This record gives sequence, structure tokens and C-alpha cells, in this order.
Amino acid sequence: MASPPSDHPAPADRPVLTVDGLHVTVGHGRTEAVRDVSFTVRRGEALGLVGESGSGKTLTCRSVLGLPAPGVRVSAGRIDLGSTDLTALTGRQWQQVRGSRLGAVFQDPGSYLNPALTVGRQLGEPLRLRLGISRAEARRRAVDLFAAVGLRDPGAVHDRYPHELSGGMLQRVLIAVAVSGDPELLVADEATTALDTVVQAEVLDLLDRLRTERGLALLLVTHDLAVVAEVCDRIVVLYAGQVVEDGPTAEVVTAPAHPYTEALLRVAATGDRRRGLAVIPGRPPEPGTTGPGCRFADRCGYATDACTAGPVPLTPAGDGRLVRCLRAAELALHGAADRDADRAADRPADRPLDRTEVPA
Amino acid sequence: MSAVLAPGRPLRAGPLARRAARAPRTAGRILAGTATVFLLSSLLTFALGAVSDANPAAAALGETATPADIARLDHEFGLDRPLPAQYGSWLVHALGGDLGRSWFTTVPVADSISAALPVDLSIAGLALVLAVALGGAAGTAAALGHGGRVDRAVTAVCTVLGTLPAFVIAIGLITLVAVQLRLLPSGGYVPFGRNPAQWLRFAFLPALALSLDAAAGIARQLRSSLVGALRENYATGAVMRGLSRRRVLLGHVLRNAAGPAVTVLGMSVPMLIGGAVVTERIFNLPGIAQLSLRAAEQHDVPVIQGTLLVTVAVVLIANLAVDAGLYALNPAARRGRPARAGQEADR
Amino acid sequence: MSVLRTTARAPIARTALAVLAVVAVLALTGGLLAPLDPLAQDTARILQGPSGAHLLGTDYLGRDVLSRLLAGTGLSVLTAAEAVAAAMLLGVVPGLASVRFGAALSWISLRAVDALMTLPFTLFAIAAVGVLGNGLHQAMLALGVLLAPLFFRVTRAAALGLDRAQYVEAAELMGASRSWILRVHIWRKVLPTVAVTTAHALATSLLAVSSLTFLGIGVQPPAPTWGGMLAGDLGFLAQQPWAPALPAALIMLTVGALNLLADAVRDAEPADAVRGAGPADTAVRKEHRDGLAAV
Repeated sequence: MASPPSDHPAPADRPVLTVDGLHVTVGHGRTEAVRDVSFTVRRGEALGLVGESGSGKTLTCRSVLGLPAPGVRVSAGRIDLGSTDLTALTGRQWQQVRGSRLGAVFQDPGSYLNPALTVGRQLGEPLRLRLGISRAEARRRAVDLFAAVGLRDPGAVHDRYPHELSGGMLQRVLIAVAVSGDPELLVADEATTALDTVVQAEVLDLLDRLRTERGLALLLVTHDLAVVAEVCDRIVVLYAGQVVEDGPTAEVVTAPAHPYTEALLRVAATGDRRRGLAVIPGRPPEPGTTGPGCRFADRCGYATDACTAGPVPLTPAGDGRLVRCLRAAELALHGAADRDADRAADRPADRPLDRTEVPA
Repeated sequence: MSAVLAPGRPLRAGPLARRAARAPRTAGRILAGTATVFLLSSLLTFALGAVSDANPAAAALGETATPADIARLDHEFGLDRPLPAQYGSWLVHALGGDLGRSWFTTVPVADSISAALPVDLSIAGLALVLAVALGGAAGTAAALGHGGRVDRAVTAVCTVLGTLPAFVIAIGLITLVAVQLRLLPSGGYVPFGRNPAQWLRFAFLPALALSLDAAAGIARQLRSSLVGALRENYATGAVMRGLSRRRVLLGHVLRNAAGPAVTVLGMSVPMLIGGAVVTERIFNLPGIAQLSLRAAEQHDVPVIQGTLLVTVAVVLIANLAVDAGLYALNPAARRGRPARAGQEADR
Repeated sequence: MSVLRTTARAPIARTALAVLAVVAVLALTGGLLAPLDPLAQDTARILQGPSGAHLLGTDYLGRDVLSRLLAGTGLSVLTAAEAVAAAMLLGVVPGLASVRFGAALSWISLRAVDALMTLPFTLFAIAAVGVLGNGLHQAMLALGVLLAPLFFRVTRAAALGLDRAQYVEAAELMGASRSWILRVHIWRKVLPTVAVTTAHALATSLLAVSSLTFLGIGVQPPAPTWGGMLAGDLGFLAQQPWAPALPAALIMLTVGALNLLADAVRDAEPADAVRGAGPADTAVRKEHRDGLAAV
């Protein structure tokens, strides 16, 4: 189990990240906030973990990164990076995983950089420690990386302090840092949320490009289905700590199987993502206050008495899809069918889901 | 794509610019503030003498002074002039290094002070070094083992030290180190210039007694800012780069968290000098406090005023040094912009 | 108000209050409780250990240590309180008034505060008694002047924070007079902050008084004080190394209880109220006190 974490890259057939039956408790074990969450991410694949705040997506993501908030604990389940069980790592073993096999970018990128050091030095430091290279060599590599993430004048950026760069530039810097160790998995935790639309599109493009060029596995955590639709191959929708729908992006977006996914799509389609899920009536239940039945029932327009009576299992719904809804088969939910989810297809500029165009 | 959004466009100007305008702690402003504080302190020091009914004749001659003696000596020391004129000439002379002469011995005050000041400065300097070393080590160790046994021990010791006056610590150290163990002398002094090793022998205990409280303050402040800074996103960012906890703490967090501790250090300078009064008495050191105590007994106003003014000057210079240190710690301030961590330090 | 009531319920605060109540009773009645005359010398029984006649032994003049400790509590604590009372008077009123100061006057008043905070306590008190005569009130006035900035700063910061608060604005819109707002709203909110500062100032003052009496300033021997007893014990460490522990323990206990009480009040305060008091000043206040403990 506690095998040395470094030299075990995932074989081609094996997923890069396997989350299996993950349970996470908060409040020092008092409340279960994530329940039986499972998903996999393969090499070169992008998975979107979607849900509103309180859905458990951040807890899941922080568990993958080994950065639990105080009082938060993985109570059951496995998180495997290649063949390494991340839940069993010691502090020292984590050091060998983070930065070299696992990279992460976050919301508000500037706050994740040390304000007192130049960004170049912060990128160079782990390189020098890990590879034992000279200062000049670290600088050369850092400048190359800054160029690779599309920063103009990377040599000048190298010697800037974080507060001297814009939000979009900082996110690029953070991405450069995250991929500097050539990781297998890149986790993007609301990485585009605070950015304005144009920059957001650019950053998503960059992540997509890095995924294809470097064969990265990408785990995109966000509340914004539109962002996921942009880059992800698969979508996992979380609600109140449970997976409610899991499937290929194109299918889920065009024909959602769960009423909650439908609601999320409706929000995304309004194009006003700043207001979040205000258009879904009600709010997600507090962890630990849920009844035995479907947790979305009291906000769901399709709910029946059967929905709240007993546990609703996650069941296959064809095409490699899973859904946690008793009425999934009978409901004909509205997706973004009229808005082709295939990113390769041409799209007119007025489509709400479209954010790749840059105003001239 | 990305033709429009060229990286390198103007920075987010709004909130930053506003913040910068609100906190322009530039060197010029700091110097102006310091000069004003010095002037106000000198005014207070002078006023102390002005409201006193002590006079040179009484100080020198005691009960036997006749009204004629008083008038003659008052004139000799310039006390028959209007107060603003007295203040003006006293301040101008003081800035030129002339603090007047003792009413009692007529020795120039500046001479007495320059003989006594090195004692205090050397001991306070040693105390400062000890405080930084002890407080820094204890605070960092406590933060590294946050919530653990070391942390609790450091917190407990700091709390106890905070309730003890320096002279009680000094008595404790004398009892233990000098009287019981006979390791170091319990009093006396040899100037550093004459014999550094002997100086250290005599200076170590007083400096240690003086330093412990400042060390406790530094340790407490450093611990809490380190623990706070470890929760900051940039510490998480450093962890995510695969750096070890020790490296994150010492290489990234300490630098930003040191600001408040440096401020505490600066604030402890007047206390080191004030505490020196009692430690000087206990360890029988020929310092500025002994001078001041003797002058107080003799109502020797020029000496009293002189020691006070020089003390204020020393403290203000130390404060300027701290400001310079904070400035150097914070590259954002150096470039005329407040940094994120800088805001914390400014609090 | 409710902050103080919440505080009174915390166990730590209760312990601290109990200790302080005992000290207060001793301070007021200590002289009466003393079994023997604290000034009576018995040269036949000097530097004795505890016995039936002298429960805590005798000092270098054969005086009863227990009686001197009890009688000394009053002088030590009440003088410290006198200095804090002076500081409050000199600090709180100008602090509240300074909310209405213009920019220039505010700047000058803050520099004056800086000037006072620059002066070391003991040296300034020595200077004060040197020019004004060696008396308790001179020394305490000097101490009060130097402690006043603590009250000035926290009062001013809290009042400024609240002055800009929305409910004050609302009250103003509803036609409340300026002075009524200042009195009712601001004063009520400022009170917990003042309570913390008072406890810290008392602790600081007590430490400073101990130092001064140790040096024979303010209170002249043979009148018993904690500091004075320590000074007397200093010459006889070889014979009675444990003797300084008694007055030192009393100082520690009282100062420790005051610090714990101050912390308890601060913990009971809602976070936004603390922020309203101005983070800068909270920090300064704490650091200032920490530093002062050396005096």
C-alpha cells in the first residue's frame, strides 16, 4: 500500500485518478458531507466535477490534493493516483507527489503566490530542489514554461512580484507552476471563476491545449456547467455530497437525466453565471439534515412521494451514464439540445454556451 | 486568439491605487513624524523642569542657599530668562550635543551621559540579540509544532514571563546562576573596549534578564503570525509545489510573518532601556539609569532632562531602524505598492 | 454590556475575578488582617524561616514577612489603580473628543501619543519625582500620563470605527443628536474595549509600581510594598534564596489574573466589534503592554 509514490506512473490502461467510494466528514467526524463518491480520470481526459456550493465538490477536490480544512477527514474510500493510494500518504510522501505528479490551480491565483518573492523564483525553487539544477538553468526553464503558458515577455514576467501582474497573467503563472513538474494530473479548482469572460476563455483554452499536448489528466472543479461543457469529456454532477449524474459531456448536456442537471443547464444558459443558482428555487440541504430519500426532492419540480420514501440508488442509464433519480426513465428533460455541445462544431457568436470568441 | 487580451495590459488599478493613496508611509512622512515626536518629547521634558520649583542654588548649596545665591546661580544657568527663550536655547544646544551642566557638580551633562550610555547600549544590544535568538527560535518551534507539546510549553513560559517584572527575573537569575551555581558574577562591569570577554561575563546576566520579556513578546507574536500565515493561500500554494513543511515555513511564511514580530521588537526597545534602570541597580552597573537616579535624588534638573532626552533619541532611532527593516522585508512597499502580506504587517 | 456579561460566565474569567476579588479585599483590609505590626523590628530574630510565631518567617530586620505582605498589598495595588485612574481621565475623554478633530489636530494628537509611548516608564517616573519631589502622587501622575495613550488610542479607534458604522448614520437620520449618539451608541460599544485596556493598564501599572517601589521611588521605606520587600531581600539571597519568591508570586498572580481577564473580555467580544476597535490599535495595545512588562 505505502509504496514509494514517485516511480509509479499510471499504465496506459489504468486511470490516472481513481476515486472510489469516497466519504468525507466535517466537524471532526460529526457530519458526513461527501457520501460514496466515485469517478475516474484517464490520461488526456478532462473530467468536470460540478455542483453548487455545499455540494461536496470542494471537499472532494481538497481530499484529492491532501489539503483538508481543519476538522475535515476522509472517513472511507480510496483515492488512487496511478497505483498510489493518496489517502494513506505521510507528509513526506505527499511532498514527492505534489508538484511532480499532481499540480493544482485555484480561484484567486494571486493569493496562492508568495507576495514577497518574484514569480520566477517561486517557479524555479521546486525545480531546483527536485532536479538539483543551477540557478541559471532554473531560470531558463522557468522562462520557457512562462512562454509555454502564453505569457508575453516571459523574461520580464520572471522578475515580477505577484502584485504586479493581472489576474489572467497570475492564473497563467500558477498553471506554469502546476505543470512544471510534468504531472500526471492537474486539478483546477474554480480556476476561472473570478476571471472576466474573455480571460476565462483563454485560460480554458490553455488548459485544454496542455491536456492534449502533455497528455494530462484534468480534473475541473466548478459550479459552472458552461465551463465544463467547454473542455470536459465527462461530467460528474454532485448534489448534497452525492453523485447525482455521471456521463459523457455531450450526452449529459444535450439530454440530462437528472432534474438537478437540467436546472444547472438552465442557469448556465441564462449566461448570467455571477448570480449562480439563484434561479433554482430553494437551497441545498445542510450536511447531516437530509432524510432517507432523494436529497433534491424538495427543490425538484418532478418529485413524487416515492422520491422521499427511501434511498435512491445510482443506476446505469445507458451509454456509460449513471443517474440517481427514480423517474429518470420516464422524464424527458430539457438539455442544451438546441445548442450543440460538440465543441468542434461551428457555433454562432450569440450562443450563451460559447465563450471562445474574442471580441476584435 | 488572445490577440486582444495581451498579457501585460495595465494592472487592476482600482482598489490597489486607492489603498496606496490611503497608506503612503513613505520615508519622508516617517521622518516628519519622528521629528515631531522628538520635538513634543523635548517639550514635555523641558516642561517637567519648568514646573519644578527646584533651582541650582538649592541643589548645590541645600538649605544654606540665600536669595542672593539663588538669583546669582539662576542667572548663571539662564533661568531668569523667559521660558520660551530657555526652551529654544536648550533645544538648540541639545541638538548640537550640549545638554548644559549639572547644577550639582557643574560637569557637562553630555560628558556624564556619554560615559554612561555605552553601558546601556551594549547591554541593551546584547539583550536585543538574545531576545531575537530566543524569541525567534521559540516562536518558530511553537508554530512548527502547532498545537503540540512544544507549542503548549512555549505558550506557557511566555505567559508566565509576561507577568514578571524584569527585576524579578533578574533576582531569580542572580539567585540561581550567581549565588547558587556561582557561574557568573552577580554584579559589576568591565567596558567592552577594555576586555570583551570580561564584558560578556558581566553583561550576560543583565542582558538575559532584560531580554526574556522581549523574547516572550517576539515568540508569541511570531507564533501567532506564523500559524496565521500557514493558513494563507500562498502557503497552500507553496505546499502544492511540493515543498516541505519546514521549507514552506522558513523560506516563505517566516519572511512575511516576521513583520509584526519586528514591530514588537521595535516596541520593546524603550522597554529594554526602561528595564535597564532596575537591572542596573540590581547588577550595580554604571549606566544612564544610575545617573538619572542620582540626579533625581539631588534634584539636578539638567541631568534629569538630558538623560530623558537622550533616551527618547535612542528609542526614536531604534524605531526608525525597525521601519527600515519592515521596508526591506516588504518588496511591495519598496515599489510603492502595498502587498497582500504587507497589509497584515501594517495592522 | 452583554460582552461583559458573557465574559463573567467564562470559567477562566471567573477564576481571574476570584483572584482579583481576594487581592482587592487584601488591598482594602490587608493592614487590619496582618497578625503583627509590619514595621516592628526584632533584631534577635532576623532572617528566620517559617515558625508558629512568624508563619512566613522574618526579614533582615526581624520583621514579620506575612504582615508585611498583607500590609504591602494595599499600597502596591491602590497606587497602581491611582495611576490607571489618572490615565483613564487623561486618555478616554480626549480619545472620544478626537473623533471630531480635524486632520491636522488629529495628526498632532497622534504624534503626541507616540511621544508619550516613546518614554520609558521608570525613567520618566524617576525624572518626575526628581523635579517634583519624591512622592506617591507625583510618581503615579507620571505613570498615568504615560499610560493615557493606551486609553486614548483604543477609545479613538473604537469611536472612529463606530462613527462610520451604519447604525450611527441611521440614528443620525432619525434625528438623534450628535451628543446622544456619542453617549449611548458609541460609549456602550466602547466599554468592552475600555475594559480590556483597563485590565492591561492595571497589569502594566502594577509592574511599573513594583519596579518603582523596588527603587524606593514613590513609596519610601520602611512602608511595606511588594517591590520594596524584593529590594530588601536582594541583599540576603545567600541566606534566604526563597524570600523574593513570596512578593514575586503575589505580583505574578495579580498581573496574571488581570491579563487572563483582559483576554477573556476580548474573546467574548464579537469579531466585528474587535475589528471595529481598529486592528492596528488592538495590535499596538497588546504589543505595548507586552513590552511594558519589562519596565
